[in-house]
Amino acid sequence: MFALYKKEMQSFFYSPFAYVLAALFMFIFSLSFVPSIGSMDSNTLKFSYPNIFYNNFFYFIFLIPILTMRSFSDERKGGTEVLLISSPLSVFKIVMAKFLSIATVFLFMMVVSLFFPIVTMVKGEVMWSSLICAYTGFYLWGLACIAVGMLFSALNDNAIIAAILGEIVMEGFLFLDKFAATELVASYPKLNSVITWFSLQRRFVFFSQGLFRLEDLVYFLSFTAVFLCWIVIAIEKRRWSRS
Amino acid sequence: MVEIKNLTKYYGKNPAVRGIDFEIRDNEILGFLGPNGAGKSTTMNIIAGYLPSTGGTVTVNGFDITEQAAEAKKCIGYLPEIPPVYPDMRVEEYLNFVAGIKGVKRDDRKAQVESAMDRLRITDMRRRLIRNLSKGYKQRVGFAQALLGNPKILILDEPTVGLDPSQVIEVRNLILDLKKDHSIIFSSHILAEVSAVCERVVIINKGEIMAIDTIENLEKSMVANTLLNLKVEGNKDKVVRLLKDIRGVTNVSDITYVSTNLYTYKVEITDEDVRKEILTSFINNDCNVVEVSMAKLSLEQVFLKLTAQGKKRTSLQDLLSEDTAAPASDNPYDNEEA
Repeated sequence: MFALYKKEMQSFFYSPFAYVLAALFMFIFSLSFVPSIGSMDSNTLKFSYPNIFYNNFFYFIFLIPILTMRSFSDERKGGTEVLLISSPLSVFKIVMAKFLSIATVFLFMMVVSLFFPIVTMVKGEVMWSSLICAYTGFYLWGLACIAVGMLFSALNDNAIIAAILGEIVMEGFLFLDKFAATELVASYPKLNSVITWFSLQRRFVFFSQGLFRLEDLVYFLSFTAVFLCWIVIAIEKRRWSRS
Repeated sequence: MVEIKNLTKYYGKNPAVRGIDFEIRDNEILGFLGPNGAGKSTTMNIIAGYLPSTGGTVTVNGFDITEQAAEAKKCIGYLPEIPPVYPDMRVEEYLNFVAGIKGVKRDDRKAQVESAMDRLRITDMRRRLIRNLSKGYKQRVGFAQALLGNPKILILDEPTVGLDPSQVIEVRNLILDLKKDHSIIFSSHILAEVSAVCERVVIINKGEIMAIDTIENLEKSMVANTLLNLKVEGNKDKVVRLLKDIRGVTNVSDITYVSTNLYTYKVEITDEDVRKEILTSFINNDCNVVEVSMAKLSLEQVFLKLTAQGKKRTSLQDLLSEDTAAPASDNPYDNEEA
């Protein structure tokens, strides 16, 4: 399994792929960072890193499918899926190796973005506790999205279509909050609570407030686990019904 | 070594493989023949554990391919039809990776990769990106990959496709060499290749086994079918009558008009001595023989005939004897100057 993980990492880091994506991530980050730090007056509370994450979810969502789109689509297209599946590795291990490698690239992107807090730290003060919490929350959110993106890659031969479908579904999850806030849904408190319970964004809000709740951690991890299992099932199903 | 029992595979409602049985014995090279779409690749994919079967069992070295997949897959080296290579990797890097996923111990990896590269003569290419390799080299990298982990069984799906003639010979020799410590199943639609390396062949068509037999039997049956192409000046009916009078002529067919009183005939004879008799008879009866050539039933044609048949046969011998008895309506022969 480590061999596959290593190979995946090489495919990201031996090509410009990981670096370009990290640059894009930083670019989106800076689009919010620069104006907000520029317009900052004496009230330091106005500027916070969690807000940058929160306000840019929409844009960050576009990054993740780009990371995940090739994971299974390309294997199938290039005929290398045969190699992986006919190797002694189980499908679960293949999925895990790929997931972990993408999670590592995502981690790399986040580590690179630490540049901003570090610069801030030089000239001012950073609330590290809130920052770490926000980063953790954002990373967990990212893991969940990676699992969703990989599922669509496993379902589609075409990487671009996999990316677009993944984006639509992730945007859908983002929309849950707004959907729950509509008058119609809000008038049914039970339905509202069910929908908001599933909202990824709302869970992130707790992290951004510096609240590290076990419930949210379990939610994100189980969300990811469910999608990873789904990928395994999707691949197995494809093998059975390939036509 | 490998036992395939009643193997069935459906793609949706379409049967790809219908209840086939055969075995691959220890240190044997088994040829697997069939036209495109016969179910060769499907069968090989199932044996290699890539596709699950709809019914039946595949046992590899005592392990069931679905029940004990990991153990069974460790005994298999598979070269699919399209070599499963990553274009962005370098040859050596790729082989190291494959050795890794096959569970080759870290200490053995280097030695195994070296020996595989050496066997396939790709050592010079070790630093090259696979993307930049020619088709033949990609095929060899794919082959090298199958050798890693020292699998007891090698499944080779058309291993010589895309190779130049000298490489084909090299690969053939390699396969023969590998026979010492591997059991090999090897598919192809080039029969000459199969006859050069395999002891036994399985001929499959439309998902069913048409014949399982040794190459010797196949060749024996071929010798029994010799064909003369004649161009004779003289009355058509007279020529046919003369031919039919000779013992050893089993069939006259494909009489074509060339010019006035000049026709070509295809004459099936039991052995080559009959030719002399035919020619003597023509000379004695004032028929001017313009051209004589001998044609042998080529392996390709045997194969085509076999796969064109709907019925299942126990051996090639049966099929071919049946075949010669029936008048040949089509032209199943290849010309070869005598």
